[in-house]
Amino acid sequence: MAETGGGGANFAAGGRYPYYYGPEGRLVLVDSALEAVNRGSTTIGIKTPAFALLASHIKPVRPLIDPAEKIFVVDGHVGATGSGYIGDILQLIDELRLEAQKHRLNFESPIDVGSLAKHLGSFLHNYTVYTVRPQAASVIIAGVDQTGVQLYQVDPSGTFFRGSGFAIGKSSDIALDVIQREYSADMSIEQAAALSNKGIEKALGERPVVEIGVVSAKDGRRFQKLP
Amino acid sequence: MTTIVGIKTKEGVVLGSDKRASKGFFIGSKITQKIAKVDDTLAVAIAGQLSDAEYLIKVAKAERKLIELRRGFSLTTKESARLIANLAYSGLKNYQPYFVELLVAGVDQEGGHIYAADMSGAITSEDFASSGSGSPIAYGVLESMYHKEITNEQAQAVATKAVAAAMERDPGSGNGIEVLAIPNVLATVEVKK
Repeated sequence: MAETGGGGANFAAGGRYPYYYGPEGRLVLVDSALEAVNRGSTTIGIKTPAFALLASHIKPVRPLIDPAEKIFVVDGHVGATGSGYIGDILQLIDELRLEAQKHRLNFESPIDVGSLAKHLGSFLHNYTVYTVRPQAASVIIAGVDQTGVQLYQVDPSGTFFRGSGFAIGKSSDIALDVIQREYSADMSIEQAAALSNKGIEKALGERPVVEIGVVSAKDGRRFQKLP
Repeated sequence: MTTIVGIKTKEGVVLGSDKRASKGFFIGSKITQKIAKVDDTLAVAIAGQLSDAEYLIKVAKAERKLIELRRGFSLTTKESARLIANLAYSGLKNYQPYFVELLVAGVDQEGGHIYAADMSGAITSEDFASSGSGSPIAYGVLESMYHKEITNEQAQAVATKAVAAAMERDPGSGNGIEVLAIPNVLATVEVKK
């Protein structure tokens, strides 16, 4: 048989889409991207009816190198963070910022968070359709819109979830466990920040440097990074 | 030609129009519909080229429905006006302008709104507005009879009066009056909660 180029496991079995699907019918490239996300820095999103908070672990770097920024302002009322390859995260953040400003141009109003998550989902989904490298980044989006405080997680597959607590990156299952156990809808921003710190600390087994961003339903409704 | 008026009230918005469509010095139609309902919360009154206006409204209607399905709640009146204004502006800049002056009237969570949109792509928010050849006459009535506390019922009477006055003296307007009132259902629902 002639060489047709790097096929997946199914190719030998006469599968129709050798590039995409693995033997168990999973998208191998997407699985690999998710694996890369699971090695990224531990990142958390917490939402209550009053506010949404994003927290991301800043990996220690060499003394002369400044650590990378991990919490991003997307628009005045929306912020986002991610885990995975920082280059991919940056691209996705820019895509979100672009979409937010497009909405302002088209409708003269701030975009709702759900539309942003949906847009990022379809943007990422595109990378699962062609033989390209899926973006190795999961993103958590926090914001306030007409329907209140919103928190979304978007994965490399294009899947997105709405919820009150998310954790992605290294040992995220442990961090999410901590959040799930101690989450309460009436906690304060300080308590949520402490909880996210605890979650990341539990996951990594050390006292972490964490960057935090918050948006609340009251006073200004603007996403701001905490000092 | 045409006279259209729009009035913002404390209960919603009211639109009024005449029914004459002119073809130069000829009356092309005596039963023209110049108030187009986009849905239960938005309507547009048309002055200018009817075909252009109909097209803009059709696009706005489709876009509004699409956005509502996608994000789960509908466009505000301002968002709808901006959408129409952007279409008008891109038409202007492509040397194929939409020859229209529209009054975009609607209700949303913030209450009733009147926006005046024209072929230049500009939109202005107004308490009351009029457009078309009869508008200088209609404005005379609106200026003297509008007040902030006006109800939908009172505004319907004012709109009727304004269009009637224009029809008396403007040869481009006539053949009857149409009035549409949109009650502020969304804001009252919000208050009840």
